[in-house]
Amino acid sequence: MTESLIGASLRRPDALGKVTGATRYPGDLIQPGMLHLKIVYAGRPHARIVALETAAALAHPGVVAVFTAADVPYNAHGLIEADQPVLCGEVVRYVGDKVALVVAETAEAAEAAARLVKVEYADLPAVTDARAALEPGAPLVHGNHGSNLLYHCPIRKGDADAALAEADLVLEGEFETGWQEHAYLQPEAGIAFLDEQGRVVVETAGQWLHEDRRQIAEMLELPEEQVIVRYAAIGGAFGGREDLSMQHLLALAAWKLRRPVAIMWDRAESMVAHFKRHPVTIRCSWGAMRDGRIVAVKAQAWADGGAYASTSAEVIKCVALFASGCYEVPNIHVDGYAVYTNNVPSGAFRGFGAPQAQFASESMVTRLAHALGIDPVELRRINLYREGSIEPTQHPLPGGVTVRECLDACIKELERLEIRDWNAMQPITQSPIANLQSLTANLQSPIRRGVGIACGIKNLGYSFGYPEGATATVELEGGAEIERALVRVGAADVGQGTHLILRQIAAEVLGVPFERVTMITDDSSEAPNAGSASASRLTIMAGRAVHDAALAAKREWDDEERPARATVRYRAPATTPLDHQTTAGVPNYAYGYAAQAVEVEVNTLTGQVQVLRIISVHDVGKAVNRQQVEGQIEGGLAQALGYALMEHFQMRDGYVLTPGFSTYLLPTALDMPEVIPVVLELGDPNGPFGARGMAELPLVPLAPAIASAIYNATGAWVSQQPMTPERVLRSLREVERET
Amino acid sequence: MKPAPFRYVAAQSVEEAVSLLAEHGDEARVLAGGQSLVPLMNMRLARPAVLVDINPVEALAYVQANNGHLAIGAMTRDAALERASAAVAHSNLLIEAARCVGHPAIRNRSTVGGSIAHADPAAELSAVMLALDAQFVLQSKAGSRTVAAADFFQGYLQTSMAEGELLTAIQLPQLAPNSGSAFVEYARREGDYALAGVAAVVTLAANGSIADARLALCSVGPTALRVSSAEVALRGQQPGAEAWASAAAAVKAAVTEAPSDIHGSASYRRHLAGVLTERALALAASRLK
Repeated sequence: MTESLIGASLRRPDALGKVTGATRYPGDLIQPGMLHLKIVYAGRPHARIVALETAAALAHPGVVAVFTAADVPYNAHGLIEADQPVLCGEVVRYVGDKVALVVAETAEAAEAAARLVKVEYADLPAVTDARAALEPGAPLVHGNHGSNLLYHCPIRKGDADAALAEADLVLEGEFETGWQEHAYLQPEAGIAFLDEQGRVVVETAGQWLHEDRRQIAEMLELPEEQVIVRYAAIGGAFGGREDLSMQHLLALAAWKLRRPVAIMWDRAESMVAHFKRHPVTIRCSWGAMRDGRIVAVKAQAWADGGAYASTSAEVIKCVALFASGCYEVPNIHVDGYAVYTNNVPSGAFRGFGAPQAQFASESMVTRLAHALGIDPVELRRINLYREGSIEPTQHPLPGGVTVRECLDACIKELERLEIRDWNAMQPITQSPIANLQSLTANLQSPIRRGVGIACGIKNLGYSFGYPEGATATVELEGGAEIERALVRVGAADVGQGTHLILRQIAAEVLGVPFERVTMITDDSSEAPNAGSASASRLTIMAGRAVHDAALAAKREWDDEERPARATVRYRAPATTPLDHQTTAGVPNYAYGYAAQAVEVEVNTLTGQVQVLRIISVHDVGKAVNRQQVEGQIEGGLAQALGYALMEHFQMRDGYVLTPGFSTYLLPTALDMPEVIPVVLELGDPNGPFGARGMAELPLVPLAPAIASAIYNATGAWVSQQPMTPERVLRSLREVERET
Repeated sequence: MKPAPFRYVAAQSVEEAVSLLAEHGDEARVLAGGQSLVPLMNMRLARPAVLVDINPVEALAYVQANNGHLAIGAMTRDAALERASAAVAHSNLLIEAARCVGHPAIRNRSTVGGSIAHADPAAELSAVMLALDAQFVLQSKAGSRTVAAADFFQGYLQTSMAEGELLTAIQLPQLAPNSGSAFVEYARREGDYALAGVAAVVTLAANGSIADARLALCSVGPTALRVSSAEVALRGQQPGAEAWASAAAAVKAAVTEAPSDIHGSASYRRHLAGVLTERALALAASRLK
């Protein structure tokens, strides 16, 4: 037996093609002779369609067809609830709503003709603030829904009101996070055509072959087998490709016209039309005793879901579940509200509600520590989840609770790096505000340095009773020895390296060289359903399915079956919806844990925050590929840094103010600090070789760690995200005024 | 993202360039580094019928010390400026500002003359030229004339260059003895246009008081802004926090047309103008030579 492949930093097989430009992304699939699609967008937040005139567009040279709502067999789609029209016929609910689809011989003709589609609108009052949308009399985004409340998730444990009344200390806080744009390198694009058997084939990028197929088949009123979804190389996803964006329109046009069709969005289309991370407002009260025990959390959270349901109901459940962070609190009273508005819809984004919730909870824990005069690390150690802790939903946590180990490793790393000048390590009894005054008087040094820490928790895999499973097939060919292993698993490699990981797992189980394993992963008719590339789940779920299928195939092989073949559907331990009366339940089968420390410099005159160093500790169970794990940490931190400080997606009255990268600022390599990844391998009870998911965790603690570091440096708390220089400066001035 | 059709002519000399400009009048635009003009053309915000490319005119790329002056050819790349020993010897300000222009890849193409002629109020070099009392040499078919930087910047993307004129050279007088200079700016992100930037020159008299000061800002109005009220306020004062604060107050009072946009409000830019003024003056005063 050769050296284990598990843990080896094997090079990505797709790396060379990607850096040389040889790799074909969806936009590269467009061939001469294909018809081109151009979408006519609403361009207004809320209106009734009075008349829609397509004759002039149809008459434009090169135009083949103009489709409207009447042309769509089943005109509704959505990941959970089919509440979004494919093409709007009566009402438009956000600026990126689609009203017509122009098909032409060239992209230029399609674009010119799209401008000739005349839509007469009667504007309706728009509601663009989540809390205002819940007021009586607010304009309804979906008239038939009765209210703008998309989903309400209550969580009750113990008696929070009584516990707050008896607590030695109660702190209140209000936190706001903004939209975040996925900003993947590759804007939406793809092609569609009918194959020789008359099936609709859509080749594009996405996060779940079989879910895309389901929604497309439903729209066309076809059996799912009549639709094939294939993925080309995927240029990033981060949750933004979970919802259909243009795949269904490709399918519609190809099906109707029986000709190959193509589409490629520009950046502005991508930024306006695809769904974002939810902005969330959280109001909370935390109660603690003098000895540091946190006794109660009461919180309300409002998530702006925008015009359509997407995954808002699931996201708000995560916000509610993580409102008390990764702390065992005996008394919890949380209400999460996902709300319809006429803003760009919100959906999945790496972290899925956990970053928003824990911006509040981690900030509150550090604030409690300072108010109690207890070291924030110590306060965390008193309250952090441990094995057997009872979740907010009144059941014990799934096994493998390692957040304490993450925090310990983080503190050890701080000590190793001799980051000693850390006020937060000592209770701040003397007000740091005094420091601020002396320093504003001294113009020579407006720069203050601070350190902040935060912990993080995020569920791995699907939650709250959603069926969680993944299927893989392994076929072994050869004579005396296995010459070729074929792994079929419909798992999307969105850039995170899942195909490499799954191949390493298969090769290791089978005991064959890596090169003998062939992966079939990107065709819904060739690879079985492994579920979505989301919720940090593919290594544990698809990985476990591949692991178990390889083991079963190997047994067949050992029984001298040629070829040997096995299909395994791995099912995760069951979860349940929350009980309507008691809110009790088993929300998740696994969690990932992390702890981070950041060192920042704050310019107290400009409000500029410079992150100097990030220590990011993750329990990954077992790193299947060490380099890929570290890559996920580094990439996730870049996204987290942007989210915390820079990325400010802005809308006014339902209109997008930041439709490009000159207005929506992303951090570049020059803005990234030194990153120190620390990888713990404490073993997951279910994951293959003990591996556990980690891809979302870097995004969870960073913003509150930075907020704590800003406080450590200046005495000012920033509770609005992104923490732009103007907001930081405003917080500094407020502290000055209070003294 | 493609430009409207245009005719392209590569000029081999200044003479050829100015005669092409004379021929095509306001239909022509000069192509230098292209870092501002080409994006504008691609977005079709600029639609020149003729592009006169002066990149082949190698004689316009130089940085030379000349009888105490610094002479900079209009086609000098910003990357060349920041490394030129004559520029390094001239002033910290010049080098610091050049390094703030975009990213290295941009500076490898962008030119000193192009930035000045384009007259973007966010361009660092425009403020530098005001603070250093630059003279611009403008060449046309009819001959040449020299215009002071103070008379050059007229409005947003507007200069006093006449139709048919080509900016060929920039002349910077030597700083007086016992002077120091600095350029500081603040951008939301490394390499982006600044929310505010300040160029400062401080000259001390024999008795240690401020004999002369020059202050110019970028990104806080429709043009680069020289703030003479602040300069007057500084004269005769002792260098130090008090003086810098009074200059900052004068600068903030002079910044009346700061833009408000997605990256920063007008009031924040005005605030930054004051903060950066103090920082630039303190830095300049620490560099006396």
